[in-house]
Amino acid sequence: MNQPIIKIENVWKKYDMGSVEPLVVLKEINLEIKKGEFIAITGPSGSGKSTMVNIVGALDKPSWGAVYLNGENVSNMNESSLAFLRGKTIGFIFQQFNLLPTLTALENVMLPMEIIDQDENKSKDTAEKLLNKLGLGDRMHHKPNELSGGQQQRVAIARSLANNPDVVLADEPTGNLDSKTGKFIMDFLGQLNKEGKTIILITHDLELVKYGKRVVYIKDGRIEKEIHN
Amino acid sequence: MKLKKCFKLSWNILIHSKLRSWLTIIGIIIGIAAVVSIVSISQGAQQQLEERLGSLGADILTISPGASRSFGPVSGFNGPLDRESSSSSSDEQENLTSKDILVLKNLDNIQYVMGQVSGKADMTYLSKTASVSVTGVDESVWKDVTSDEVDSGRFLVQSDSFSVVLGGKLVENTFENKIPLNSKITIEGKSFKVVGILTDGNGVYMPLDVARTVLEDVGNEEFSSISVKIENVEIANETVGLIEQKLMFSRGILNEKDMDFSVSNPAEMQATIQETTQTMSLFLGAIAAISLLVGAIGIANTMFTSVLEKTKEIGIMKAIGAKNKDVLFIFLFNSGLIGLVGGIGGVILGVFGSALIGYWSSTLSGSATRMFGNTALTPELLIGSLLFSILIGMIAGAIPAYRASKLNPVDALRYQ
Repeated sequence: MNQPIIKIENVWKKYDMGSVEPLVVLKEINLEIKKGEFIAITGPSGSGKSTMVNIVGALDKPSWGAVYLNGENVSNMNESSLAFLRGKTIGFIFQQFNLLPTLTALENVMLPMEIIDQDENKSKDTAEKLLNKLGLGDRMHHKPNELSGGQQQRVAIARSLANNPDVVLADEPTGNLDSKTGKFIMDFLGQLNKEGKTIILITHDLELVKYGKRVVYIKDGRIEKEIHN
Repeated sequence: MKLKKCFKLSWNILIHSKLRSWLTIIGIIIGIAAVVSIVSISQGAQQQLEERLGSLGADILTISPGASRSFGPVSGFNGPLDRESSSSSSDEQENLTSKDILVLKNLDNIQYVMGQVSGKADMTYLSKTASVSVTGVDESVWKDVTSDEVDSGRFLVQSDSFSVVLGGKLVENTFENKIPLNSKITIEGKSFKVVGILTDGNGVYMPLDVARTVLEDVGNEEFSSISVKIENVEIANETVGLIEQKLMFSRGILNEKDMDFSVSNPAEMQATIQETTQTMSLFLGAIAAISLLVGAIGIANTMFTSVLEKTKEIGIMKAIGAKNKDVLFIFLFNSGLIGLVGGIGGVILGVFGSALIGYWSSTLSGSATRMFGNTALTPELLIGSLLFSILIGMIAGAIPAYRASKLNPVDALRYQ
């Protein structure tokens, strides 16, 4: 009944290091992520987590193997259609928030919708609703540097939900936040999952891992084990 | 992404840009301002030249005393009358006489011959006095030999004695009040009636005999210059040669080196002057082009740095769905906008600059600088400079924008 929304088939990722031996970061990764899952991917630093983010989020193509996003093979897509599919299917939340510093909170949330050519008024409407939902109704016209870290991350969450994507990919979302704000963010992600969104959480923090219903452990570029909570 | 949105984002980058971008814009402003003022000045000079040369009349040759045969652009600007008066002030030369006129009258290809005297005299109108250049003309042939046209009133006729015709510019500009037709003016204590006003010029024209009584140092049978109207302009050069030959003979001159008169050939003069102004325009244009080039390199430099600075933002935009094309347009528009803003500033500065140069050179005496008194600011020049500036911005920004668009989102996101 449940089609995988992201399917990773025997993926290898290596980086050419010039004259030195190529660096193999991911080895023989097989992973299916189904709609509505809350999956946590974890591992020590240097295990290949970040590369996993790039592969799972279709930001990067594998050296070998195949990645299917909504049934489409990412390797066969050109840059433009991949960008479009990524913008519609995956919402990103980064550890560094990664908001555009010269745009207001509202404009930052509107941007993903405008990138895929949504109507401006409709985009504005949606963005306002999302910011209100995250308790930032009175902060919409502030620039990121006028917001606290927690507020910035909430704007980033609102932005990740702008195109109503199936998947929200959160890469160490609480890494730069105090524990109280961190908890708010994690609870919000849990809430989103209950509403039907697929959540992929990448973290090294074993405290956060417990939010995931399925936890994938990576070590030395391989999937070491999978645990269902 | 819609182009409109790309444009908005590039505008956003521009207004949040650092001092560096504004310095780049200043570079473009200076370049475009230089182009605008230089082009307007040389176009103005060109226009003025053409007007002057047009009023000179290609079919009218002027014979003046003195051996100078060369016409630089400088002396050419004064028009025939000024030039003669200035050259006749030299002591050693012999004036032209009625004998010379007789010689000229019988030559082929010559329609009319008119001797004239000229010099400076004080003119009084409504108790204000100014020094003007007075020309005595042979009223029977004057209208046939001049390229001037009457704006109001008439040319001099043979029954005129204390009548004058005034140049259009003199009427407008010399005195506080405009001099109307039929008014009375006083020249060197004698009263004259204004019977005609020419369309242009600064001269005062009166019958030859009267002028001899007004001007000092003019002998009864002598002329400051002789104007000759030729029938066929095509053979003007041959006619000039013929005139020189016959006059040398009648004046008893054996060697061309000893020639004590000169014959102006308007066609030849035109070519010389035009060549000179063209060379000058080219030279000034090259300076403007160099300053623009420096500005363009400045834009390219700024754009490269800007792309580098915005690497992470490019990564973010790509992660949330922006295509290569979107990023390309954002940065291309950004550099185009730098060009546009610089262009607008440059055009404004250039308009001021050329007005200032025009004003400054018109207050200076000396025909070489007066030549720049007229500047021509055509809408084509202004719009053209703006478009050119935008184009330069986009060309300079093309490579940085392309590099930005090709950034790998993973690497760009990791960039600090």
